[in-house]
Amino acid sequence: MSKSSARAIAELRRTRPRNWVGRITGLALLALVVVSWTTHNFGWRHLFTARSAENFARFRREITPYPLQERAFDWDIFTTWLHTALTDKVMAAVVATLALSIAAIVLAAVIGAILSLFAARTLATADPYLPGPNVPHAARRHGWRALCAITRGFLIFMRAIPEYVWAYLFKAMLGLTAWPAVLALALHNGGILGKLNAEVIENVDPKTPRALRALGASRLQIAATAIAPTALNRFLLYFFYRWETCVREATVLGMLGFVSLGWFITDAQVRTNYDEMFLFILLGAGIILVGDLVSAGARRLIRRAK
Amino acid sequence: MRGSRRIVLLAIVIAGVWAAFYLDLAPGQLIPRETGWKVAREFFSAAIRPAAVDESGLGVSLWGRAAKGAWLTVVFAATSMSLALVLGLVFGLLASATIWELEDSGSNGWRHSFRRFVAPVLYTTARAFIALLRSVHELLWATLFLAAVGLSDATAVLAIAIPYGGTLAKVFSEMIDEAPRGAAHALIGAGASTTRAFFAALLPLALPDMAAYSFYRFECAIRSAAILGFFGIQTLGSFIVQSFELNLYREVWTYLYVLFALVLIVDWWSGLLRRRLVAA
Repeated sequence: MSKSSARAIAELRRTRPRNWVGRITGLALLALVVVSWTTHNFGWRHLFTARSAENFARFRREITPYPLQERAFDWDIFTTWLHTALTDKVMAAVVATLALSIAAIVLAAVIGAILSLFAARTLATADPYLPGPNVPHAARRHGWRALCAITRGFLIFMRAIPEYVWAYLFKAMLGLTAWPAVLALALHNGGILGKLNAEVIENVDPKTPRALRALGASRLQIAATAIAPTALNRFLLYFFYRWETCVREATVLGMLGFVSLGWFITDAQVRTNYDEMFLFILLGAGIILVGDLVSAGARRLIRRAK
Repeated sequence: MRGSRRIVLLAIVIAGVWAAFYLDLAPGQLIPRETGWKVAREFFSAAIRPAAVDESGLGVSLWGRAAKGAWLTVVFAATSMSLALVLGLVFGLLASATIWELEDSGSNGWRHSFRRFVAPVLYTTARAFIALLRSVHELLWATLFLAAVGLSDATAVLAIAIPYGGTLAKVFSEMIDEAPRGAAHALIGAGASTTRAFFAALLPLALPDMAAYSFYRFECAIRSAAILGFFGIQTLGSFIVQSFELNLYREVWTYLYVLFALVLIVDWWSGLLRRRLVAA
């Protein structure tokens, strides 16, 4: 390499764009990771002892189907075991898991769609989409600004509290019906969908809404005729993206006692029937994979609909 | 193709109605009865006046517990994410189609047959492995560890790190595959090796998205770490359960607001990072 080209490269390197937010974030996170690893005693040593190796070996024996432990694999014995383990109740729990996730995501979509109208900064103002300079009454202006800020804060709060915690709290109030689980999933995901939908609304091309506004259309009319049709595709993409997580979480909420696969997993664990527990966990993984496939298919359909 | 969107919408409505009937979701059940009503009233009225001092009478400082819970929640999240990132990067690279598809100018002989026969096997295995990692929920990984060696702080970290590693790997591989390949092809045309071209001209293009997504997952890891408190780890979840079972709803709200504050900070920072990294 010639001297001048080396100098040119050095010059390029010196003048490259630097991203300070990215750098500070990276350094701060690195420091946090180092502090986390060093200040807290996680007890990693206990994980690599002879005793825990023994425990792992025992566990591996115990998750093999009980009739097949300590004998060669036999297809007939395996299928009989499978039939006794997968009772009608377990299969009903699989269906219930899916039903929970669907009911929850539909409710979340309704909550998210309504709240997003108040959380979108372009729509939730005193006079949305007015083409010219316009000064509405100060009280109205501040009122709308406050409403928008409160809605946004509320959405973050809904999403900050995990489904599992919501479900635990609602269970104490509503008992063991399906409602606490559905509400918990709907509240958390409604917060996420509301935020994402508000961003979609803010990114809608303002030309049509402005034209409608100039013709005298009301806020609701603009939302229904100019925003909903253009934003719907993105809404639906997010809907299916969140449904995937709903399926995952619906499985686990059963651990609190609700009718879903998680209940049978905990039940098998308490009875120390680890072979059944392992089977149900694999079944749960299967449900999630199927859910992902359905969601991916639906999203492809929607993308094509553009 | 407006028709397919209509079909999807119709399917959603039908599925929603079916689910409501299957789960017996009568609106009447939404009204709590007797004790439930009392709990609901007391719990929600405590929302506007969260506890500022300890109410349990155990003589421990509420803010001491809240600070400990919040700090450990962050510590567990950070430790898990550091492991998940290693898993995600290794398997994300293995599972991306691009890293195998970039063609070398002199790709013949054993390199060609590697790409032709070995690479697809590696790629498919990596994808299946990732699917396995992430399709088991972190609480189910915790249950597995609990049954095998007991749930300790170390296994709780692994329970989060494994599914998160799988998710990161999947998303990383997609982001790498979606990155434009022009620059990498230009470098290869100029005589660079595929490995060099990949790391110099392809990976950097996907990196901002990968960083922003990792930060978002850090927010999720905070929530997951908090929930593991329900299983006995000393994160915010364990304090929520303790106070709730003693009917100290005002303390519960203090913890909920602390968790809210944690997420709020990460969310604000994440937004800042995304605007600076991805938009630029």
